[in-house]
Amino acid sequence: MRSTSTPARPELLLQFETAATSAAASVERVSYSASRLAAAVSKKSSGRIAIADTLDLPQELFSDLQELPGIVTGRSKLDLAACDVGVTEAFAGVARTGSVCVAVDHDYSGVISLLARMHVAVLSADKITERPGDLFSPHFLNGKALQRNFVFVTGPSATADMGPLVRGVHGPHQLHIIILE
Amino acid sequence: MSSPAPVASPRTVANKSDKPALLAAIRMALEIESSAVRHNTQAFNSGRYSATAEIPDYHQLKDKARAIKEAAIARLPELLATLEASIKRNGGHFFLARTGDDAAHYITKVCTDHQVRLVVKGKSMTSEEVHLNHHLEAAGIEVAETDLAEFILQIADEQPSHLIGPAIHYSRERITALFKRNFQTDLPLDTGEELTRFAREMLRQKFLNADAGISGANFVTADTGSIVLVESEGNIRLTSQLPPLHIAIAGVEKVLPRRQDLAPFIELIGPSATGQGLASYTSVLTPPLNAAPALSDRPARCEFHLVLVDNGRLQMREDPVLHEALYCIRCGACLNSCANFQTVGGHAFGGETYSGGIGGSWEAGTHGLLKARFSELCTGCSRCVMQCPVRIDIPWLNSNLRERINERDVEKSGGILEKASAAQLHAKAPLPKIFFGRYDIFGKWGARLTPLSNWGNHLPFTRGLMERFLGVDRRRELPAFASKTLAQAAKRSTPAKSSSARGRAALFPDIFTNYGSPERGLAAVQVLRSIGIDLVLTEVSADGRASLSQGLIRTAQQQAQRTSELLLKYIRDGREIIVVEPSALAMLRLDYRRFLSPDVFEQIRAHSFETVEYLWRTLDERRLDAVDFFTASRHSLGTRLFYHSHCQQKTIGAAAPTEALLRAVGFDVVTSRVECCGMAGSFGYKRDFYDLSMAVGQDLFNQVRTAEAEGGRRTLVATGISCQEQLHAGFQRKVFHPMELLAEIGNPDSH
Repeated sequence: MRSTSTPARPELLLQFETAATSAAASVERVSYSASRLAAAVSKKSSGRIAIADTLDLPQELFSDLQELPGIVTGRSKLDLAACDVGVTEAFAGVARTGSVCVAVDHDYSGVISLLARMHVAVLSADKITERPGDLFSPHFLNGKALQRNFVFVTGPSATADMGPLVRGVHGPHQLHIIILE
Repeated sequence: MSSPAPVASPRTVANKSDKPALLAAIRMALEIESSAVRHNTQAFNSGRYSATAEIPDYHQLKDKARAIKEAAIARLPELLATLEASIKRNGGHFFLARTGDDAAHYITKVCTDHQVRLVVKGKSMTSEEVHLNHHLEAAGIEVAETDLAEFILQIADEQPSHLIGPAIHYSRERITALFKRNFQTDLPLDTGEELTRFAREMLRQKFLNADAGISGANFVTADTGSIVLVESEGNIRLTSQLPPLHIAIAGVEKVLPRRQDLAPFIELIGPSATGQGLASYTSVLTPPLNAAPALSDRPARCEFHLVLVDNGRLQMREDPVLHEALYCIRCGACLNSCANFQTVGGHAFGGETYSGGIGGSWEAGTHGLLKARFSELCTGCSRCVMQCPVRIDIPWLNSNLRERINERDVEKSGGILEKASAAQLHAKAPLPKIFFGRYDIFGKWGARLTPLSNWGNHLPFTRGLMERFLGVDRRRELPAFASKTLAQAAKRSTPAKSSSARGRAALFPDIFTNYGSPERGLAAVQVLRSIGIDLVLTEVSADGRASLSQGLIRTAQQQAQRTSELLLKYIRDGREIIVVEPSALAMLRLDYRRFLSPDVFEQIRAHSFETVEYLWRTLDERRLDAVDFFTASRHSLGTRLFYHSHCQQKTIGAAAPTEALLRAVGFDVVTSRVECCGMAGSFGYKRDFYDLSMAVGQDLFNQVRTAEAEGGRRTLVATGISCQEQLHAGFQRKVFHPMELLAEIGNPDSH
């Protein structure tokens, strides 16, 4: 009998990386540890950093991040608007489109992922699924996505309204995806 | 004729209830907006072709989406009740606005009750439809459009020219000039980056200070009260998440039963709209959200209002034809795949809010029938039909609008000739529509009265009369009436011996081929018989294409009925039906489903073929090699070709065999990449549309020139009769039907 399961994870991961890169995101793989994650973020960014609380990942994973210089803990509009980098968890990734799914309704994660010039999304490799429609299936993540307020983020914000394609409009100019293995 | 009026501005021609406004809009668009519109729509168009080709189950997704929309619109009243309960359960507010004014008043009141001074807005066509900004501003509220295209339009005070790219008619240079004039700034604004940075900084301040955000919604789900917001710039996310008050406005047709139903739509909308797998941001929200960041650290409680607008939609739902438009998800694929739209954009091919092929139905439904007059720019070429993610038959909607507008026009100002023709032909339509729609009658008499009728086609006096009364542009060369019709001429050619036949077929002499261009049909007869097809001719019958294209739907229905009875006789006798003119073939294979019972339609559809398509298929079935029958190098004009397939031929999948066969027998073929040549049947012959038709043709002409720039001249080949005329108008040299080429290069003794 033919197997009906989705392709094995490594293929999805590769497909995800290719699609995300062609959507103008940058992608890096980091091993699953608080210190490696903090090192990856600090290498990529400087200045004021806002970090939204995790939702599915253990909060300890973000503990070293909180020690980085420039961390902003205030949550007023002006605090968040003044940030250079916003770090959020991505609770799912979509291989076909290279999108990350970011929950937007806890600890201002929606705004944190939007107001800074760079958005760093932290995605667990085993949460990558095949296609966008999976986020509306009761079988994916036990239907968790059907309950959530979230956004598919595919590359940085962009516009073609001013003539040629321009990246970096009202949202981030850069999207960096850290895949935790 | 009157002298041309000065070029209009977009706002002054937004209302095209009468013909002069439509014609002024076309002139304005051709003069000012055409090159930017062409550039942008064609980029969207090729993006969509590549993106949809990458979806393995594209067609199944479209079927799913269509089925969900059909069910949703059928159950709409019940879904609205469910949705209202869901929104309230979530802690939001729900308002069903009967009219556009109701919607605008409700939103204005919510804003004034909250002492709102500044509103940030995401792109929303529905808010354009109800003139929301006007109402808010009248109440002293500042409105900041934050989508960069809408930002441009707000400054310029223009209506959108495209459903998803409202300012596609602006080139970068024109935006620079507009900003410099409006903001009187010394900042450099000469690149897309500089313009974007300028707008971003200005609008960032608006976002931080806004008291309320107003967005549209691409989809709304009844079971959960969720909304979907699709965008690229991030302005809609900010609009819906930064201010504490969020109001979403959308048409009632946006409601889907369940959040799970979103799957096919999420996967179709990006590829169909901009050619992206997903737009940069696709938000799925069940508002109100928990908290919005305030100016201080104390979070603000969020409030959410969903305003769903009826404004004629529930009446559209009852309309036997227009209800199909309610399935539209506003992706713009029908705009981008339309040759006329690519050339003039939505300021000519559009109304006050909605534009393009689908726009006519929307304007008719929300603003009234005559506001849909611009839908006359739909030539019925059918290129949009396969591009629509919910399979809306847009040409059919527009034929019906045409019929209704025809009747209204005749009631209003019908002259003696209209009344007489209405009585004679049971068609209530202005005279030019009758003329083009009943080519079966005019063609027959024209052919009987040759050479007199052909002299008439060339005399300035008669051409002047034809232009004045029939709307036929005098600059167009009219196809000569045949002194011997195909039916008469073919009687004299030798039939194949039927004993050893390689296939049995009947050639249907469509009226265009029969009266206007019998040589194409004769070539087909000769070629098919030469490869051993037992081929007969059927009787002549009007297939209904001409009538349908002019909105004479009842006439088309009767003609379809008669033609199908005729063809069925031959099909039952074991013959395949061969059709020369692709628009007639598309009638049989696509449009007859509207006119015939499903089983009769299926028989006709399955047994009708384009000439070369049938030849290619027969060779394939008999495992014969085309090179054994035809040799390209025998052709007197050489082997270099430029082939343009007909729009409807492409839609029904009957173009590829011609390209394959011509290449197989040794021709060097360059094919056109345009959606349509611009002639589109009778469209380009009309005085009102001559300039537009020739402007559309420029893309095709340029492709020929490019192909000929290297290696010299190519023989022009086209399958459709009007495409042939258009290419002839561009190059003043003979344009061949593929069968005419083949007739000249048959190998002797190849049986």
